[in-house]
Amino acid sequence: MLTPAGRRPWTFYVLAGLFTLFVIFLYGPMISIFILSFQGPTGGLVFPLRDPGFTWFHALFGQARTGDVGGAFSRSLPLALVVMVLTVLISVSAGFAFRRRFRGASAIFFTAITSLIVPGLVLSIGILVTFREVFGLPVRWYSSGLAAHLTWTLPFGLLIMFAVLGRLNPSWEEAAHDLGASRWQTVSQVLVPIVFPGMIAVALFGFTLSYDEFPRSWLTVGSKNTLPIEIWTMTTNVTSPALYALGTVTTAVSFVVIAIALGSIWVIQRRRSRRG
Amino acid sequence: MLKPSESPGVTGSGEIRLTGVTKRFGETVAVRAIDLTIPHGSYCCLVGPSGCGKTTILRMIAGHEQPTEGDIRIGGDPVVGLPPVRRGTAMMFQNYALFPHLNVRDNVAFYLKMRGVAKAERRARADEMLARVQLDHLADRMPAQLSGGQQQRVALARALITNPRVLLLDEPLSALDEFLRLRMRGELKGLQNELGITFVHVTHTQPEAIALADMVVVMDHGRIEQAGPAEEIFARPRTPYVARFMGGQNVLAGIAAREGGGLSLTTPEGWVFHAPATHPEARDGQPWAMAIRRDRIALSRGAGEPGALGPNAVAGTVTATEYQGTFVKVSLEVPGLAGFVANIPDHAWFAERFRPGDAVTARWQGQDVHVLDRADSAGDADPYGGGEH
Repeated sequence: MLTPAGRRPWTFYVLAGLFTLFVIFLYGPMISIFILSFQGPTGGLVFPLRDPGFTWFHALFGQARTGDVGGAFSRSLPLALVVMVLTVLISVSAGFAFRRRFRGASAIFFTAITSLIVPGLVLSIGILVTFREVFGLPVRWYSSGLAAHLTWTLPFGLLIMFAVLGRLNPSWEEAAHDLGASRWQTVSQVLVPIVFPGMIAVALFGFTLSYDEFPRSWLTVGSKNTLPIEIWTMTTNVTSPALYALGTVTTAVSFVVIAIALGSIWVIQRRRSRRG
Repeated sequence: MLKPSESPGVTGSGEIRLTGVTKRFGETVAVRAIDLTIPHGSYCCLVGPSGCGKTTILRMIAGHEQPTEGDIRIGGDPVVGLPPVRRGTAMMFQNYALFPHLNVRDNVAFYLKMRGVAKAERRARADEMLARVQLDHLADRMPAQLSGGQQQRVALARALITNPRVLLLDEPLSALDEFLRLRMRGELKGLQNELGITFVHVTHTQPEAIALADMVVVMDHGRIEQAGPAEEIFARPRTPYVARFMGGQNVLAGIAAREGGGLSLTTPEGWVFHAPATHPEARDGQPWAMAIRRDRIALSRGAGEPGALGPNAVAGTVTATEYQGTFVKVSLEVPGLAGFVANIPDHAWFAERFRPGDAVTARWQGQDVHVLDRADSAGDADPYGGGEH
């Protein structure tokens, strides 16, 4: 946007400055941690970087003093994957159910959304008490922990599906019916392929929200920690750059998952337009 | 030509017969006790304002809605409750409803895929159909990469590959610009001639209906106001509503008096309209209505009093003129007559022009006056405020 004189207005510089600050705050810490994770054996928690190498990555998986990172990862990853699959299945089915107005639709919707508002730590305590004291069930990452994570991912998944299905033209279903598709063929040949990118988005949210979740995991995963809790524990008793190495590894896992998801969308779309 | 149908039991006549068809949505009645027969191989246009029930009728013929009451037969077979493919109908949706995830060829081949036709064969047949609509060069494109007119052809090919005996078109031209609309209009008509199947076309545009249809069905409030050939609907409308909706007519209302074989109407202002024919239900002293075509009116300069002018003449003031190429549309303000318009041929106009504010007298021949079948009711307000036709 240029002024009649051909110069940019002053608001451009103000907004550009704000955006620069935003980018620095967003990526600065992440990049600092990434760089510091390659700190040499004699280096400390802060700059400068001395003898960069993989010392602390080895320490992460090699030594007991940094905590049970491998074990925490072996719980967090399957938990996030299970949460992802359940979130997709439940959100997609619920989203389709909500396309038709039914009695109590708003009540059910708001009931499902409320868990976004309830503070996570409070919910964590509530789930602990309910599982252990009320039902006498074991408190583990795969039982109460899974339930706690679903209270967080399902409302997000549902909201995304609402946005996706809101753009789903009802005449596509009618056209399929008109062309002789059965109910099941309409779902498998028309509806699911069209909403597939939305389903990937729900899956990504489900995975990352669970993989990162601290407050709802805090009291609900039992005696064995998930990764965010393990990291939090480490900040209190580990004072080495191994913490940064852990940060780099977990972030890398998240990126890999996102890359796989986006890559699969890209491949599917290419295959579709090629299939011809 | 198209290959023989593979659908079981859907060949044969495309005559559509609706008997006592009513459709209710909750408390709302969309279609009220309709009786309608659309002959095999005809081009039928359902026309009316939004919410008049025309789309609901189309969707009931297609099988996307079920009638609350009544019977629908296609080629003599009762079809209520049957899915669309078993009816031998194919529908072209208003915004074409092309599947966004399939390319043009796969969109057209969708019906064959659902029927389990092998890949190579269904592609070959889709390409054949695309060649018919001159789109074979775009078979690998995605729908989003096509223009509106191209999307429409794809939708047409996708519907025709089912080899229907009835093609149902829901406002097929409304998404196109004026130039393309006229071109596609011609192509639809040509296609219907070539295929010889029944086309049912829903539109809210009167010229579209008149240009295309062998049979025009004018609807209002879930009822059929009049059904017949285009020239009959246009030149001899039955009701004040049809006269106004189709355009081209001025509705004249007054108190009836039968004279010989003819009928006279007198307005409270003193205008007198006379027609050589009458209507059997018109009673002396009761209100009744007539219509005079806008292009059968002559204008001359000068005011006049109702008593002095004689029958079939009114005096008023020009409020607006609109040049239309072959004629000029002159709007008059006449006491007691709302929205009176005279269409003056261009040669007459260039001989004597009128400007807004001029006092003029409008005259017409009694033989051009057409008696309607009822009085003009207040609820019959012109839906298009005078229109442009």
